[in-house]
Amino acid sequence: MSSFPKTSFFSPSRVSIIAASTVTQLVRMKVFLFLAPVALLFVALNFFELPIYQGPDTLVPEQQLRTHKNLCLGTMMFFTSLFAIVSVALIIPSDVEDRTLYTILCKPVPRLDYLAGKLLGVILVLLMAMLVMDFLLVVTLHHRTTSISTDFGRYLSDLGFQEAEVARGQAELAKHGPTWILQYGVIAHFFKACILAAVALLISTFSTSTLFTIAAGVMVWIIGAFQSIARDGLFVDSFAGETPSLADKILSTIISLIFPDFQLFESIADASVRAQEILGDDILKLGGLTLIYLAIYTVLSWFVFADKEF
Amino acid sequence: MSDVNAIEVHELIKDFKGPFRGHSVRAVDQVSLQVKAGEVYGLIGPNGSGKSTTMKAVLGLIRPSSGSCSIFGRDALKVDSRNDVGFLPENPYFYKHLTAAETVRFYGKLCGMRGQALRQRIDEMLELVGLGEARNRPLRGFSKGMLQRIGLAQALVHDPRLVVLDEPTAGVDPTGSREIRDLILNLKSRGITVFLCSHLLEQVQEICDRVGIMKSGTLVKEGRLEDLISLRDRTELILEHAPEDLLTQIRNLVEVTHGAHLLSEAHPRTTLEDLYLDETRDHSKSAHS
Repeated sequence: MSSFPKTSFFSPSRVSIIAASTVTQLVRMKVFLFLAPVALLFVALNFFELPIYQGPDTLVPEQQLRTHKNLCLGTMMFFTSLFAIVSVALIIPSDVEDRTLYTILCKPVPRLDYLAGKLLGVILVLLMAMLVMDFLLVVTLHHRTTSISTDFGRYLSDLGFQEAEVARGQAELAKHGPTWILQYGVIAHFFKACILAAVALLISTFSTSTLFTIAAGVMVWIIGAFQSIARDGLFVDSFAGETPSLADKILSTIISLIFPDFQLFESIADASVRAQEILGDDILKLGGLTLIYLAIYTVLSWFVFADKEF
Repeated sequence: MSDVNAIEVHELIKDFKGPFRGHSVRAVDQVSLQVKAGEVYGLIGPNGSGKSTTMKAVLGLIRPSSGSCSIFGRDALKVDSRNDVGFLPENPYFYKHLTAAETVRFYGKLCGMRGQALRQRIDEMLELVGLGEARNRPLRGFSKGMLQRIGLAQALVHDPRLVVLDEPTAGVDPTGSREIRDLILNLKSRGITVFLCSHLLEQVQEICDRVGIMKSGTLVKEGRLEDLISLRDRTELILEHAPEDLLTQIRNLVEVTHGAHLLSEAHPRTTLEDLYLDETRDHSKSAHS
């Protein structure tokens, strides 16, 4: 006969079991096929060149590299964000419709563990996808940087610059290549995708339709991308020198709690594309903010899911 | 512990609210039942009678509007109570991307099983349900009967004291159905309590100790099967190789006995199921693998 200890409220072990099952599910669903067009795009970008404008303030080589990085990071951001929303929107409603959820919840599995496990599984798959795309980005960017650097060096030599000056110019150019600063941009996009997965988790706990979950998730993504601009425009008239009223501040805070503000994440990513200095502390703060959002959305999901009847 | 009922349902009421108009539908109305430890209890009734709702309340999948459900003395809404329960839903679906062994392993791990004990248990369960040879096949290629069997395997993996079965033989061929029936009887012989819902009344009659009949959300009849289906005022005699003069004597005796009537006289019949099994037994064993 069975005898088990009291079931704990939250078990990392149970969460990891469900997460591992989710990873297996997504991998066997061949979701990584979406990486194929990404890979093709990254490779194709190697052959994309800006029209050359001659002028004293135009730094064409850096612009080419920034364009390459912008397009690659933008592609990574787009695919991972969409993947985060769609995968959560697919797997939880399918568990309900297929009644797979019944057999799981009829085991000693608290609902919080189930939700956390599903979210963790999606995040792990996101991480794997991000690592693959990051590898492709580094490889193609390195190839592009090397190629442009060689052409730039030849160009400077033809203009009569000394070797040391050519080397300095190439070293400046290399800062716009695959450096650690660029990785901060990748990390920022990964964090953003994790938050979107948590948002989709919350929506899927009360949504009855996969399509609605995806649509609502995309809407939150768009609102999150532009809300700080919208807030500034609605609540602060800087031209008139006004400061927001208390009511405006409260409303603005509520909006930023309901819809995650992705402006900070975008700022980090933009700075990484421009090869600007990014402090490690900023990334840690970003990570902390991500964890807070994940915790809030997961707990909110649990509140909704706890009393859901099947 | 042996005095504690496996399932206690006390004045269970479950109302479901309508979507827009707000008025609610009472799916279960003041149902009370007890399932003793070690017995096989069948809950039967027409579609929409509240059987599944009662079952879900027992499993903690829905919250009662009023009343309570407990499993071995523990509140059914608490996660702890599910340590002792294995559940096979109607038309079970499992993760199709998993193989049979992976499925049983997944559910075993969710119940806290690990290591060699789990590996051994997986092998035992797959052999018990006759899926040993299909252990590495993904579930997407399984027939309905095989899915039912893997469902039983995951329900039993953690050696529960109570097994809840919702239509365990629905859609299964007669051979598979008989095997599931035999499995249920095997569970009973091991002291495991079985609580099942089924529309197949003949099977319920074969395996259940006690039966509850639901209609329109209420329990209209409940009790030991023998007590419920016995026609106390009638007696059945089955004679073998009885000569005609003996039968004539019996008829005459009934005629002269005050109050007694001979209602019918006929040759007993086997059942279509027994006839089917007798005729198809060897063929079905090779088809099932």
